[in-house]
Amino acid sequence: MTTASDVLSSIQSAFPGAVLESKVESDRRLWATIDSSKIVDVCKHLTEKLAFDHYSGAAGVDWIARNEMEVVQIMTSHGAHQVVAMLKSKTPREKPTIKSLANLYWNANWYEREIWEMFGINFEGHPGLYPLLLGDDLVGAWPWRKDFKGYPDLTTGKRAVERPTADGYTEYFIPPTPAEIEAGTVPIKLKYPSYREREEAEIKSDAEMIMHMGPQHAMLPGPFLLDILVEGERVHKAFLDLGYIHKGIEKIMENRSWLQGITYTDRMCYVASLTNNECYCGAVEKILGVEVPERAQYIRVILEELSRIQSHLIGTGEFLTLIAGVGYAPWNFMIIDRERIISMIESVTGARLTHTFVRFGGARNDLPEGFADKCRDALKYIESRTKEYIELFNQDPIYHMRMEDVGALSAETAKRVGISGPPLRAAGVAYDMRKEDPILAYPDLDFKVITGTKGDCADRVDVRLREILESVHIIEQCLDRIPSGPIMTETKVPKKIPAGEAYYRVEDPRGEMGMYVISDGGDKPYRVKVRGPFYATLQTLPPLLEGVYIADVVAIAGSMDGCPSEADR
Amino acid sequence: MGISDVIPVPVAVDKEIENWTIFGQPVVEVWFTTTEKVHEIIEMSPIKNIFNWGRKNSVYFLMQPMGCCGVEMFVFGAAPYDCTRFGCMPRNTPRQCDVMIISGYITRKYLPVIKNLWEQMVEPKWVIAIGECAISGGPFYDSYNIIQNTADYFPIDVFIPGCPPRPEQFLEGLMALQEKIKERKDKRGY
Repeated sequence: MTTASDVLSSIQSAFPGAVLESKVESDRRLWATIDSSKIVDVCKHLTEKLAFDHYSGAAGVDWIARNEMEVVQIMTSHGAHQVVAMLKSKTPREKPTIKSLANLYWNANWYEREIWEMFGINFEGHPGLYPLLLGDDLVGAWPWRKDFKGYPDLTTGKRAVERPTADGYTEYFIPPTPAEIEAGTVPIKLKYPSYREREEAEIKSDAEMIMHMGPQHAMLPGPFLLDILVEGERVHKAFLDLGYIHKGIEKIMENRSWLQGITYTDRMCYVASLTNNECYCGAVEKILGVEVPERAQYIRVILEELSRIQSHLIGTGEFLTLIAGVGYAPWNFMIIDRERIISMIESVTGARLTHTFVRFGGARNDLPEGFADKCRDALKYIESRTKEYIELFNQDPIYHMRMEDVGALSAETAKRVGISGPPLRAAGVAYDMRKEDPILAYPDLDFKVITGTKGDCADRVDVRLREILESVHIIEQCLDRIPSGPIMTETKVPKKIPAGEAYYRVEDPRGEMGMYVISDGGDKPYRVKVRGPFYATLQTLPPLLEGVYIADVVAIAGSMDGCPSEADR
Repeated sequence: MGISDVIPVPVAVDKEIENWTIFGQPVVEVWFTTTEKVHEIIEMSPIKNIFNWGRKNSVYFLMQPMGCCGVEMFVFGAAPYDCTRFGCMPRNTPRQCDVMIISGYITRKYLPVIKNLWEQMVEPKWVIAIGECAISGGPFYDSYNIIQNTADYFPIDVFIPGCPPRPEQFLEGLMALQEKIKERKDKRGY
């Protein structure tokens, strides 16, 4: 099995002098600073020679004290080995420029667009650097740079004004304050075609037209804009625009204490807040080097699996209302089932959605008395219901006619586009963070990774439902095995986390979630980068929609089980 | 517009009829009347209460999940909490809705969209702001992309605090709105 030190020596022998700094944290983590002129070649080498076929994301970091910017490429593999290579490349702060990987990895496109609009790092050879999350008025302000003056002065309270446009509509404009004009922090207006101009440029004939789905649409689990270019009933091209609920969580977390940060991870994806908590706390524990007591590990596993069950239930229920073939009733059934799980979680954490339960080095409180029995009852109920649902779908010929071979992703394509979670596993790739990068008590537990065969809409839903059964199995094992003991570590967690960095991955209900946390030794994080699963899934949506019927657009988008809040952050 | 503009009124009118009034209006003014006049009378009369009784019992809300509160809104609309028994149902298009639920943070990019949705709704219409974010920006109060002053853009009748509020609180907020509609104390004064 390839280890991190093998990867490092392979890079060093292929490109002498390219590795400026390196650190082998463990067998699974490699940190290396690569000469920025050779980053593309190194990535190519990793992909071709060392089976690094999963480009997992990229993070920008602004090192203002060192007067340089950093782009961190996160490279992993789909099961060939478990090494995560964090490849940093540096660029000066004045006119930051770095070579683009978008021509090498298809899914690098959006990550680089995000870094460009937030940090102003220019990517050479990128096919289209347009803003993705920010509105036009903020582009050029580079809000995630450390010297962004607008924060927190540029809060928008009382400042947006209405003004009529030339075509008779009303627009909302936020004028700069005199202080901003004086300080020179007024966003510079960049010249680029707007979203609408870009999509209208694609209209080739009179028979084609653009149909808007969103930002408010029955299909959407939250606001994002999906525009489809149609001719008759056929979709020719699809366009996506994000940022309608972009809150700037990563920037806000830099201005809060470490502990306060946990509450923000709750609000990143509110149907899976426990896994988000876990991801952030796990990363901080890794920097601290704290060991979580065994009882706390089991409590965390139990709650995360309960959270996965409720997330899959609400996701499947939503999907069923969208395709309307099975009707509105299953949605209500699934919400009723979900309430059982929610009440179980609530009995431990005290909240329905935003738990803030996981703590650095443990959990906030212990399981209440009689939890195990109640939980077993609820699980028994969920298990029988889920089996019923699976049977219902398997027996319904209309559902199969509607859903089979719709939006199919082959294993090869699914790997290449960087999708993860149930959509990837439905395509037949057994890629699960609980097996790849095992955390907490997962190595001791017996469970299997659920996979599908075809990767179509029916498969995705089926994988989700069978995962519920698997989660039930995991929780039952945990309830049997849970040891007694403390729920917090003996070592006192300091207010100031020592300097260091960590990348931590968990299996979110929607796929691979990773957090890259940097500490500079202060009482606040220096940078928190969230690699969310739905961001990657959304990116694959437009190419998947090409050539399908309009009626299938809703089915395909719904089967992805979205959470735009986590994509927008 | 007075009656004499429409039909020439005989000069000699019974003095007693001139003194007659209906809801504070002289009868002669109302006798031959326009639609506007009818509306004015309805506004002042107890008939309005019957209208508002109907309105309060069919408040359809716009399904527009924007944040954590959006998930609780789903649950509020589904079977376990069953808002339908209060005459409240989720609708997917603004053109069929009476109530807009602002269920989360409004960003700079989303403000024109949500304002557009509000303008697409037919009157009479009401707004409920749910959660800390919709009230004051909540935990994101100092974000560069969040609008804090929601109440400046929408005539919000009911605020439901919480982060996120429980579905029971949604029900209570809904009943508060219904009470307001019945008492004619809502912001837009229907």
